[in-house]
Amino acid sequence: MSAWYDSHLVLIQSTFVGLLLALSIQFPLRMGVFSFAGVGSYGIGAYTAAIVISRYDTPALPAIALGAVVAAVIGWLLSFLLARLGGLYLGMATIAFDLIITVAATNGGDLTGGPTGLFGIIADFSMSELVVFTVVALVLLALTERGRIGRRIGAVRDDPELAASMGIKVRRYRQSAFVVSGILGGCAGAINTILRTTIGPTDIGFSLVVLALTMIIVGGARSWLGALIGAVFFTWLPTVLTVVGDWQHLVYGTIVALAAIWVPGGVLGLATTQYRKLEQRKRIRDLEATARAEPKPATDAEELAVLEELVQSTPGGDAT
Amino acid sequence: MGQDLVNAISLGSIYLLFALGMSLAWGSIGILNFAHGSIFMFSAYVAYLILGHVRLGIFAVLAIGAAVGAAMSVAIEVLAFEPILRRAKDHRTAEMQILIAGIGIASIPLAIAQKQTKSNPFGLSDSSFQVHTYAFAGIRITNVQIIVVVAAIVLGGGIAWWLHTSRNGLALRSIGVDSEVSSMMGVDRRRLALLTMLIAGALAGLSGILLTYQLGAITPESGDSLILKAFAAIILGGVGSIIGVVVGSYVLAIAETIVLTQTSGLWVDAVSFGLILVVLLFKTEGLFGHKEVRRT
Repeated sequence: MSAWYDSHLVLIQSTFVGLLLALSIQFPLRMGVFSFAGVGSYGIGAYTAAIVISRYDTPALPAIALGAVVAAVIGWLLSFLLARLGGLYLGMATIAFDLIITVAATNGGDLTGGPTGLFGIIADFSMSELVVFTVVALVLLALTERGRIGRRIGAVRDDPELAASMGIKVRRYRQSAFVVSGILGGCAGAINTILRTTIGPTDIGFSLVVLALTMIIVGGARSWLGALIGAVFFTWLPTVLTVVGDWQHLVYGTIVALAAIWVPGGVLGLATTQYRKLEQRKRIRDLEATARAEPKPATDAEELAVLEELVQSTPGGDAT
Repeated sequence: MGQDLVNAISLGSIYLLFALGMSLAWGSIGILNFAHGSIFMFSAYVAYLILGHVRLGIFAVLAIGAAVGAAMSVAIEVLAFEPILRRAKDHRTAEMQILIAGIGIASIPLAIAQKQTKSNPFGLSDSSFQVHTYAFAGIRITNVQIIVVVAAIVLGGGIAWWLHTSRNGLALRSIGVDSEVSSMMGVDRRRLALLTMLIAGALAGLSGILLTYQLGAITPESGDSLILKAFAAIILGGVGSIIGVVVGSYVLAIAETIVLTQTSGLWVDAVSFGLILVVLLFKTEGLFGHKEVRRT
């Protein structure tokens, strides 16, 4: 077991980072905010942590916190700028934001290490800290999926006008989507920099958007569990498909396309639908069983009495 | 300065040919095809493969490019986008699914081409067409650039004219305004959607061939960066407006050329991304687009 763990350590770590990244996009998506700015936040967090650790020898946790805070602040500012956009336009604007971050990183000169990036970023960050971190994030997000908050988020997604008329501050919720996405993305990026000790512009480009999207669409966009399924699936897929080898990208793309066309709810959506169908069938079977076990109908006299009462109680019923 | 202008105009013409198809599809049937860039690249790739066996002139190569592009585009429409639209609850979720499906599909031709060429550039030098450069008044212009500009003007103007005068063009525009009412008026959305995707794909294929001739060679990854530039051009000009996409393409090309000549080359990509953000922030409908009111 320990040998397997050691040889797959990198993959296990990548799964956690991928999960946080997927969550940074899934959370706004759940609110109906089509923002892919989580990838840009990843880049911001990654570079902030890299700069702060390599220049000022900051320990891991403050570096991650700083990366998350910077990304969150920028996300908050972004939410003001993009307040009026929706749907596809918002999606493309945030993709443009992500790519501007990439260009800024490429042209950052000494600060960001230019096209080659920064390397040699050493900080102590243990596996248990990573696990605790991720679990805390998952728990907090899972809590937002239940109860009042969960229903409000669903309302903001499905019918913002109705939600606004019910007194839900739609704008606030949407802004919080950007901020939370920034925190999660920033953490993911910072953690990744610390684990890999390097960061470069090629690590935060458009391919990251594609990766995050694939994780969500295949896993399921509605819940943190979907992001988890997607992250596990796509981090471990290359290992499973070693036979595929060179055609990896083609398989990825095909899976994404097929999921988008046939299974838009992802694995989680599929599982939920099947589970609900099974539950429904069970309920129908139970109802039929109860109906069959019912006592035989009353005698004629009793039936007449019941009908009489019914006629009396209905207004205008005893017109005859 | 004059040379830069010539280069900017020929660059803008390439952008126009590429973005025209995307704008047509997006403005009328509401489909933003992210696989457009892959179609662009793969058409050139197929032409390259064919030229390995038989030596053809430029017009034959252009025809091949247009045919391959059209075929790919129609196949994607039938196999991917139509099922999504059939099954989706509303247009917003369908938009996202189409976007994601397009991104996924885009990687398929990319992977094939990458595997076969090992990500090396490929060109169309095996054709009988030779690139000549003409020089006058201190400006150098190649015959490819002339063809590109002429093609862009002719096709751009032709499509604009077709959209505004023919019955099919009117039907297509009406789908863009209100697809439900237009179908009530007897417009066959499916047929027109296929026609639109066919034209868009053919245009992508043409621009792929022309750019390959102009640059000498392209790599399998060349298509993806064009998507965002086309998007910037369309957003700047306004979705659904042909004049818009024309103006947007040339403005983008001129802006990029200015940035390229005045600063280091690494900021060029930021021009398109920055344009997208700026336009979406201040004038969402672009220069010539129609204002879409979404209150929430």
